[in-house]
Amino acid sequence: MLGRRAAAVPVAQEPATYVLRATGVAKKIDEAVLLLPTDVELGTAECVVLRGPNGSGKTTLLRILAGTMPPSQGEATLNGSPVDERQVTTRTTIAALIGAPATYRDLTLVDHLVLIDSTWGHLGEHADEHSDEMLELLEIDHLAERFPHELSSGQQQLFHLAMVLLRPSSILVLDEPEQRLDTDKRDLLTQILLDRKADGSSMVIACHDPAMTEKLADTIVDIQPA
Amino acid sequence: MSDPDQQLLGHVRAAIRGNRPDTSRSDALYPAYVAVIAAGAYGIPAAQQLFRSLDGKWLAEHALTPAGAIVAGVAAALLLALVRFVGRVHGPVVPPLPYLELVVTSPLPRKVTLGRNWRLSLVGSVFGGLLVGAVSGAGLAIAHAARPVLLLPATLGGGLIGLLVAEQWLRGQLRASSLEFQPGPALPRGRRNALALLDISSLRRQAASNVTIGGAVLAGDLRTVRLDAARPTTHARRVRLRYSGPRAVIARRDVLGLRRAPGAALYGLGCAAAGSAGLMLSLQSPRTPTVAPLVSLVLAYLGFGAWCEGLRLHADNSGTSRMLGLPYRDTAWAHLVVPASAWVLTGIVVDAGLSLARLVPPAAFVWTVGIGALLAGSHLMASFRGMAPAGVFGPNAGMPALIFWYARPLLATLVVGTAMTAWAARIPVPWVAFSWLLLFAAGVVGWGLALVGKRGKRS
Repeated sequence: MLGRRAAAVPVAQEPATYVLRATGVAKKIDEAVLLLPTDVELGTAECVVLRGPNGSGKTTLLRILAGTMPPSQGEATLNGSPVDERQVTTRTTIAALIGAPATYRDLTLVDHLVLIDSTWGHLGEHADEHSDEMLELLEIDHLAERFPHELSSGQQQLFHLAMVLLRPSSILVLDEPEQRLDTDKRDLLTQILLDRKADGSSMVIACHDPAMTEKLADTIVDIQPA
Repeated sequence: MSDPDQQLLGHVRAAIRGNRPDTSRSDALYPAYVAVIAAGAYGIPAAQQLFRSLDGKWLAEHALTPAGAIVAGVAAALLLALVRFVGRVHGPVVPPLPYLELVVTSPLPRKVTLGRNWRLSLVGSVFGGLLVGAVSGAGLAIAHAARPVLLLPATLGGGLIGLLVAEQWLRGQLRASSLEFQPGPALPRGRRNALALLDISSLRRQAASNVTIGGAVLAGDLRTVRLDAARPTTHARRVRLRYSGPRAVIARRDVLGLRRAPGAALYGLGCAAAGSAGLMLSLQSPRTPTVAPLVSLVLAYLGFGAWCEGLRLHADNSGTSRMLGLPYRDTAWAHLVVPASAWVLTGIVVDAGLSLARLVPPAAFVWTVGIGALLAGSHLMASFRGMAPAGVFGPNAGMPALIFWYARPLLATLVVGTAMTAWAARIPVPWVAFSWLLLFAAGVVGWGLALVGKRGKRS
């Protein structure tokens, strides 16, 4: 054991079938403790919001839940099997935005979305229209023909969100998606995530915005700093 | 330039130094001293070995002919064009950032504040040219490829090239400044006022870039160097990527990327055409000097590499949130489709031209297919080489180890490609050499895929 467990504060009481579960997961590299043992349970169409000061291990926990980092202790499972991003089932279920995603400096915004959609192959010939719709949804359709290096930091964030929202997934794992967004765009993002939830998507979000947390969270997990 | 300005600058420099003595002269002379020692200890022996290995008789026969002069002239013109291009990204007048912010922004004339940086680059360039000329002349003389009297004109020629290099380097930097910020009527234009025409924004960007690139080179992070030196894409933004299958869309992406970087596409075409022509011609006679396939392979490597930007960008993106639905390794394979196809098509066209001119048999094209496999493998290695291992920074390694680590993909291409091409030209059944070429190319591709797998685990 690396220390005491983080407290989970249930906000909603609805019973649900859990699909993503972390049981006592902790991360330690040599002597550095990145995350104390933490429990997270995410059910269908639920939202878990992770809170905690900088350096408490929110991003580490998200990486573990997304299957890109193995825990040093405990276990993270997706429908009972260990979460591992190398497995196709994990990739098709979980879409994660943890840090800036991969972009090609010679592709425009809309090209990126078409590329992503084509490699997943889930929309077929409707990929072009769907890409335009996604940009429109995030109110950045006027930036469709810009290159990533021509965007402001807030526009970059919206573009990154468009990329992750376009991917087919049932679970979204988002690290501070409200970063660098103005109030209107935060409201817009909140509504988009609420709509996704209403459509049956689940999400784990590290968030510092109290208003977003209040509207989205079914469960709040307070991560204790190491 | 007025004396009070020089005096004022002298006071400023003294204030920057504080209580320390002025070591600027010895700081400038020390690299020159090291360069002379290195030229004598390593340069001349290496040059004579090179000229000895290149068939000195063939060199002596061709070097001082009109064709030799044309080749030398074209090479010099290409070098000067390259230097001018480099000047637009990293010019000869780039003082350190604090000096730029505190002194160059002052009312002192830029001719005064930037003069020392320019003189240093000018003298360094001329001195470097003299040294390269002297080393080349001495190497040729010692290898008996030329008479010793050639040493003097070679040295002077090198110095002249050095002078022209400095001039074109500055003109490149000046061009970058003028493109972004046209000088107003109060500023006299022209080369004589070049230093006054350098604007602070471009100077600041180049100085910051120097810091980034300098640090990245020392850390062996050549990805940062490449991304920092690259110009942002702005072409053909209205052309859209259209939906295709998962693998086909990656190839389409690369075609679109080349369409948006037409300079790279054309540069790749020129180098690949010259390289494949050189390789096919090298096979035709056992007397062809080894340098011919060697130079052809360098050109082929550069040409193929110019078309591999998508592959390099894919490698750059490892470690970030993965968005594409295709497995990492499959994406790398798909990124090879465009450069490999372009190489094969170029080879077919070049082969057709050379066959019509009766210089090579049509079957010579097959050799470039084998070399294409080798190039694909070496560019997988180059794109996914990642950061330099810690071992190259150890006390017993240093810069030579770093250079060797960086150059491994090119070395693999040159060693395998040159040896196999030279062998194929000397044996009656070149298919044996071709089989071995394919075997070695498969090894290089395997090495590249191992590096892809290593990087894929991190993303």
